[in-house]
Amino acid sequence: MASTYRMQMVFWAGLLAFMVWDWSASPPVDLRQEPPLIAAGSGQASSGGHCSMAK
Amino acid sequence: MKRLPLAAVLAAFFVFLLMAVSVRQAVLMLVGVGMGAALAGARFGFTTGWRQLIEQKDPQGVAGQALLLALASLAALPLLGQFSELHAALGPPSVSLLVGAFVFGLTMQIADGCGSGTLYKAGLGVPLNMAILPLFALGSFLGSVHLDRWLALGQVAPVSFSAALGTAGALGLTLLLLALTLLGVRAWVGPGRAWLTRRWVIGALALAVLATLNLLLAGQPWGVVYGFGLWAAKASVALGLFDPAANAFWSQPGNAQRVTQTVLMDVTTITNVGILGGALWIAARNRTETRPLTGTQWAIGLLAGFVMGYSSRLAFGCNIGAMLSGISTGSLHGWLWVPLAFAGTLIGVRVRRRYQF
Repeated sequence: MASTYRMQMVFWAGLLAFMVWDWSASPPVDLRQEPPLIAAGSGQASSGGHCSMAK
Repeated sequence: MKRLPLAAVLAAFFVFLLMAVSVRQAVLMLVGVGMGAALAGARFGFTTGWRQLIEQKDPQGVAGQALLLALASLAALPLLGQFSELHAALGPPSVSLLVGAFVFGLTMQIADGCGSGTLYKAGLGVPLNMAILPLFALGSFLGSVHLDRWLALGQVAPVSFSAALGTAGALGLTLLLLALTLLGVRAWVGPGRAWLTRRWVIGALALAVLATLNLLLAGQPWGVVYGFGLWAAKASVALGLFDPAANAFWSQPGNAQRVTQTVLMDVTTITNVGILGGALWIAARNRTETRPLTGTQWAIGLLAGFVMGYSSRLAFGCNIGAMLSGISTGSLHGWLWVPLAFAGTLIGVRVRRRYQF
């Protein structure tokens, strides 16, 4: 049980460290280019990545 | 962790996304939390449902999944017909898909979790799934790096039921194929079986609503695998191990842009993180007991996790991206994925027994 708890701590610390590194290493987010809250009906086609994409 | 401090952490992350990234990403994170809570709370395991059907002739898991597919289709197909901004999950029927789905179905049984299963079990604190997650990400990334070579083995253009038959025709065909699948299941399990229980129905309802919200907000169906590959791609670029410009997949404009920007702007990343948080929320009240694994089981499980990540990219998705999102948005590739992954699972459950998981 203690080893599982330690592993959980390592897992979440690793994920947090990755997110913090990613945020600090990436260019600032341009809030003026913010996507619409609801894509449906917005007039803007979705441009996100998806696992079904071949390209 | 107790629920109150966990709620405070999730709320703080929500506010951070709201202020620093976008309202949409903040709300999608909450959708992901709901997905994680639904998956973990209902123990809505795609892998387990298939295994129980094969080993115990128990149709409850598969019936729950069929209900989820039907409900998600009933929502997604009309929405796709109504709003031109929304995208279906259309993968190309290809050698890559056939090989990838078969291997994915095999390895998900050994790893005891598909894409969403690995995520929610990692959130619950299951040691093997926590250890698999980074390997799954690495495998997913390498699969995307090699994808052009796999596609060169043979492919045809993605087939959309909606484009071919219209919304009503696509919905009718999808529901017919689901009914035929359940008839096949009925023939396998025989009479006198319980088909639907409360936990699977609640899970199916909740996940169908959340998958629909994902489609409406993000403009694309729910996915898991792309986000994992993106994480490993970013890390590989940062370490100087990978040049996206020299790769067919990652040099595509959309992918190349996503590698340079924060992963918090990526739709699948944000729901993946939400799923982990939602599962952790469930784990805060219901601790998951796990059996210690032997060294051999660890080695086999970790290898399976890596191969599962690789094959998920070849298959154009896991149980979520290919099966749920593919089928519910009228993609032929979802219907090719299921029998191939199930064939792999038939072998996977034997390997699982062989190594006494």
